[in-house]
Amino acid sequence: MGGWAGHQKVFRFAAYFASYILSRPPVKLLIVEDEPALRSSLVEYLRQDGYVVEVAVSYGEAHEKIKLYRYDCVLLDLTLPDGNGLDVLRTLKADNSPAGVLIISARGALDDKVLGLELGADDYLAKPFHLSELSARLKAIIRRRQFQGQRQLLFQELTVFPDQAQVLVHGAPVVLTRKEYDLLLYLLTHPGRVLTKESIAEHVWGDAADAADSFDFLYTHLKNLRRKLQDKGAADYIRSVYGVGYKFSAE
Amino acid sequence: MKLLTATNRYYVLLASLLFTIGSALLYFGVLWALQGEVEERLFQQRDYLRREVRRTGHLPGTPFEGRMQLSARPLPEVLRDVLLLEPLENELEPYRQLTFRLQLNGQTRWVSLSKSLLETEDVRRLIEWLLLGVLGTLLVSMVLLNRWLARCLWAPFERTLQQLSAYDVRQYQVLQLPGTRIEEFAQLNLTLTRLSERVAADYASLKEFTENAAHETRTPLAIMQAKLEQLLQLPDLPAPAGPLVADLYAAVQRLARLHQGLTLLSKIENQQFAAAVPVHLQQLLTEKLLQLEEFIEDKQLRLETSLPMTEALQLHPALADSLVSNLLHNAIRHNHPGGLLRVVLTAKELTISNTGPVLAATQNPAQFFERFRKHNPSSDSPGLGLSIVHGIASFYGFEVRYEYAAEQALHTLRVMF
Repeated sequence: MGGWAGHQKVFRFAAYFASYILSRPPVKLLIVEDEPALRSSLVEYLRQDGYVVEVAVSYGEAHEKIKLYRYDCVLLDLTLPDGNGLDVLRTLKADNSPAGVLIISARGALDDKVLGLELGADDYLAKPFHLSELSARLKAIIRRRQFQGQRQLLFQELTVFPDQAQVLVHGAPVVLTRKEYDLLLYLLTHPGRVLTKESIAEHVWGDAADAADSFDFLYTHLKNLRRKLQDKGAADYIRSVYGVGYKFSAE
Repeated sequence: MKLLTATNRYYVLLASLLFTIGSALLYFGVLWALQGEVEERLFQQRDYLRREVRRTGHLPGTPFEGRMQLSARPLPEVLRDVLLLEPLENELEPYRQLTFRLQLNGQTRWVSLSKSLLETEDVRRLIEWLLLGVLGTLLVSMVLLNRWLARCLWAPFERTLQQLSAYDVRQYQVLQLPGTRIEEFAQLNLTLTRLSERVAADYASLKEFTENAAHETRTPLAIMQAKLEQLLQLPDLPAPAGPLVADLYAAVQRLARLHQGLTLLSKIENQQFAAAVPVHLQQLLTEKLLQLEEFIEDKQLRLETSLPMTEALQLHPALADSLVSNLLHNAIRHNHPGGLLRVVLTAKELTISNTGPVLAATQNPAQFFERFRKHNPSSDSPGLGLSIVHGIASFYGFEVRYEYAAEQALHTLRVMF
């Protein structure tokens, strides 16, 4: 357990360090989720990503918190014991809140998704989801809201401009296919994380990944991506995690 | 045939029958009575003649207003109808004639007394016209009355029928039927309204159940997936544990997909996809094939397409997407490297053919529409793809056929609109 706590500390330190470097306050999240087990996972995973996380376990609590505090983004479960999550969204919009809203729903009904997005939610994710996918979508929402096209992602000698879909190695552009770019961006937004093959395939290819009878295609695309980056003089940061997936790491 | 036409027909039949019998009885009765009257007069005249002859010995001088003929030839003594020439009008007219024997001056003579039936004839004609007129008026007024009844009395029933045929349970509507004075219709409307209330409530609770079931299963799946993902992040995770957790993770994924497929199927079966927009399959197929390009290339499939612009179909966008995706995914997934993928769209059908595993003679291709039936039982796919295709197709009344050509191991799925 000591190792785990230490590991967490490193994560948090990295997160605060990053926010310090970028000289901006940490992003504040509100997680509205009544299921304790899922809530704890979300809290832990997102804290490691460097967010300041608060939770609300019921509609009442969520309503109170959004009235009292300001959040950068709200993760909203729709089915709450004492009310409908969509009402939290309505309140936020009625108050002209700048907070981004990501709906995480177990209902999966198409109407909910359509209604949620119509009411002004930024994105919708049906349960069950990959935590890494959730985190990627959350980052996309925050990026869109806070930087309005100014953002660049830095990792060692790599620079990515998400809004122009441009990748530079040592300042020189690399030509990637759409899928290779999506792959790189997904890996780059989760440095140090183990990403499962399923989550990568689903993020980059969506439902189309069903057409494949194995994840071999993933290997082919990663191989090409690696080669293109290395040709421009980048180090190989894409590590394969045996039997599990991949990890983007400088270690 | 309308109910009213049917009852009308019986009424008219019965009325005609009774009227015909009644008319015949009346007609012949009157004729019989009139003829009886004529005959009685003839017998009276005969008796008078006999009496006079017996008293005076000769025939009275003035003949009756009818006619009297004497004949020395023996004639049959009967009553009969004859036609005699009316000298004034030079026409043959009907007469009733009584012939009898008379001893006149010691000689036997045959007397024929005739009496005109012309008055009887007039009466008969009058009766005929009267009866025809009354019968005709009666029948016509019956038909008219029924028409009027159909319009006025049956109107609430027609309205009920109209509303019923427009009834759609998917809109949770309760029938709003108009009140009516007719007890049977009022009761019918009341029963239907109650029925529709029950149906709407059942439908709502079924939908709620499906959604709750989906919700209740999705949450534990989400927890499992999240915890496993966290487990994989642990830096102290022993190396051999990685693949174990990854396998678990993959299994949870499969379960989630399975759940998704089954929920979709039950939603289709509960007809929860009522909304429809015009969908151009040509566009949808082109878009999907583009998304699948890499997988087609990876397998080095030979892609043959014929996608002419066809008329748009009225479909729910999510179902159209699911139909096309499942068909294409199926055809790519079960294809062998270097195989063939043929997509042909016409106004009448969509045909997707792919080379694939050889089927044993015992395997009936139609069974792949059943849930959990797969070519390869150990495959990762939940085996719901074709069930979903089938479910969507039958939802829209399309026919799906699975054809298998053994010589090339060519599997063809045909969706006929």
